[in-house]
Amino acid sequence: MVELLKDQFWFSALMTVGIVVALLTAQAYSIYFERKISAWIQDRIGPNRVGPLGLLQPLADGGKFLLKEDIIPANVDKPLFLLAPMIAFGVAMIGFAVLPWGGNVDLDADGAVDVAAQVADPGIGLLYILGIGSLSVYGVVLGGWANNNKYAFFAAMRSTAQMLSYEIPMGMAIVVVVITAGTLRLEDIVLSQIGDGHVWNIVLHPFAFFILLVTLFAETNRTPFDLAEAEQELVGGYHTEYGALKFGMFFLGEYAHMITGSGFIVVLFLGGWHLPGVPGLQPGDVSVGAMLLKITVMAGKIAAFMFLFMWVRWTLPRFRFDQLMRLSWQGLLPISMALAGYATVLVYLGKSTSIPWALGGNIVLLALTLVISQLRQTPVTGRQTNMPAISLTSPAKAR
Amino acid sequence: MNTEWSFMVYATFALGAAAVYFLLPHTGRSTKTAGHVLGVAALAATMVLCASKFLGTEGANIFFYLSAVVAVGSAVKVITHEKPVYSALYFVLTVLAITPLLILQEAEFLAVALVIIYAGAILVTYVFVIMLSQQGGQPMHDRQSREPFLAVFGGFVTMAAIAGQMAALPEEKGIVGDFAVAAATTAINDRGVDNTSLVGTAMMTEYVVAFEVAGVLLLIAMVGAIAMSKKRVPAETALTPMPVPGKVGREVEPF
Repeated sequence: MVELLKDQFWFSALMTVGIVVALLTAQAYSIYFERKISAWIQDRIGPNRVGPLGLLQPLADGGKFLLKEDIIPANVDKPLFLLAPMIAFGVAMIGFAVLPWGGNVDLDADGAVDVAAQVADPGIGLLYILGIGSLSVYGVVLGGWANNNKYAFFAAMRSTAQMLSYEIPMGMAIVVVVITAGTLRLEDIVLSQIGDGHVWNIVLHPFAFFILLVTLFAETNRTPFDLAEAEQELVGGYHTEYGALKFGMFFLGEYAHMITGSGFIVVLFLGGWHLPGVPGLQPGDVSVGAMLLKITVMAGKIAAFMFLFMWVRWTLPRFRFDQLMRLSWQGLLPISMALAGYATVLVYLGKSTSIPWALGGNIVLLALTLVISQLRQTPVTGRQTNMPAISLTSPAKAR
Repeated sequence: MNTEWSFMVYATFALGAAAVYFLLPHTGRSTKTAGHVLGVAALAATMVLCASKFLGTEGANIFFYLSAVVAVGSAVKVITHEKPVYSALYFVLTVLAITPLLILQEAEFLAVALVIIYAGAILVTYVFVIMLSQQGGQPMHDRQSREPFLAVFGGFVTMAAIAGQMAALPEEKGIVGDFAVAAATTAINDRGVDNTSLVGTAMMTEYVVAFEVAGVLLLIAMVGAIAMSKKRVPAETALTPMPVPGKVGREVEPF
């Protein structure tokens, strides 16, 4: 058994099975935690009927999704109607293939590294995630178009414009990391944040981290960027006509997308499976126990980001569409381009891992952004200056 | 051997051309079944010819055959499908089916760039424009192709001319993408230099002028597109604030 697993192919196969099972469970329980956290934020109790603390709620939900009548409305484009949820779900799942979970592993404890605890480690791992992410827009577009509903199509239209717009600052923020690390291989990006004189990229480039975080919210269609499913304006969004398990696939796909995005940002900016100073989490620790510890740490960081996603969803209101576009094209894009340019300057000066240089540059850029936005008097988002003043008293009181 | 082989290639391509001709949308009796049968036969014959001359049937070649069949089949569908949305989506499938071929050729950077740029950005806008413009039924120009015979014949001649050159290639059976499979299945300690860094180095040293020129060209195109699409607003209406309730955009009432 161990001999077989020492082959990277079979180890990857094992990892694949493990990750898919863990991921499906995690998606189901993300929905549970989403509901619990929303309840907590809104001072409610949340699901508590099915099982202790409502812990069996995802099973009940899954059963409901499976057993509901599977309605295909008349006048839909049937092949595409059926294909759209599959694309949304499938694309969200395959992004996981390149996330580095546990570094190198020495399975038989003979001092030599046998395999990497990762499904695949291509030289283009980072681009792979970007490519897969850019395909996820098809699920939304086809879902919105195929069901022959104008509201849903409007949602798909918004969503496409949003995803295409936010892909650009996202790419620029990632370029900062790529230039700093000098590689596209995700495992090497993790390793480049570890060791003497190296810190996590979030310390070097907090501004880029923030931009990537914002664009990830937009890419996953989460509040405050969930214009694709603005139920107050669009009935339900691009999945209005979907029911039963097809809706469930869209729903789970969104959570899978969130988990991939969290894993991505953890690898790029938060050192992946690494915690500074903790024995067992360093690149030299290659025992099986260390691998399990690393996987736990990675999963914990991803869970923390999932919590952030949910926290923001239940705290912030939704953007208006023009605010959304202005934020991306006039706000995030110039800033992220400046950051990417600054990262190249740092490489030229040989200071790409020096904290004062990188962090100082980020702070200067932040200050510059604030000053410029003040001088231009056209905030990147929010109200326009040529608007009448808002009366803060309610209309009833004013009368 | 070589002449015979070339004639066999021409024959299979003629078969494929006939299949495309039958599959192209036209009025009158449907010839779809005949087209499909001919197309499958032509594809199978091409694959057998490839297998007999260049490739064996073992190992990573399976991926070559799979993605090649999908790529060719969906490429045919791009031009023969009656609904433009499906054509655009088959185009996406063609692009996605080509990426494994590029990865087998160790050009993984190109493969992923193709997915990000083509499938992820350009074709989404294509699909989108088609969806927006095609709301009603199908117009005549989608149900009947113009000059199908000339088009098919031109395509056949071009393709056959290219494929005929394959006869001149040396006859050796190897496994496509030997390297890629080896790299994916060995432990990560013995990695070689990967394709991405080589592409990057070449772009930044040997071809830096071409690279920069391409960038400037794209920038000019972008500026031009913005300049053309920008609406000219008279100065007085643009400057005076008009807080009209219910207007979307800059003049909208906030609450």
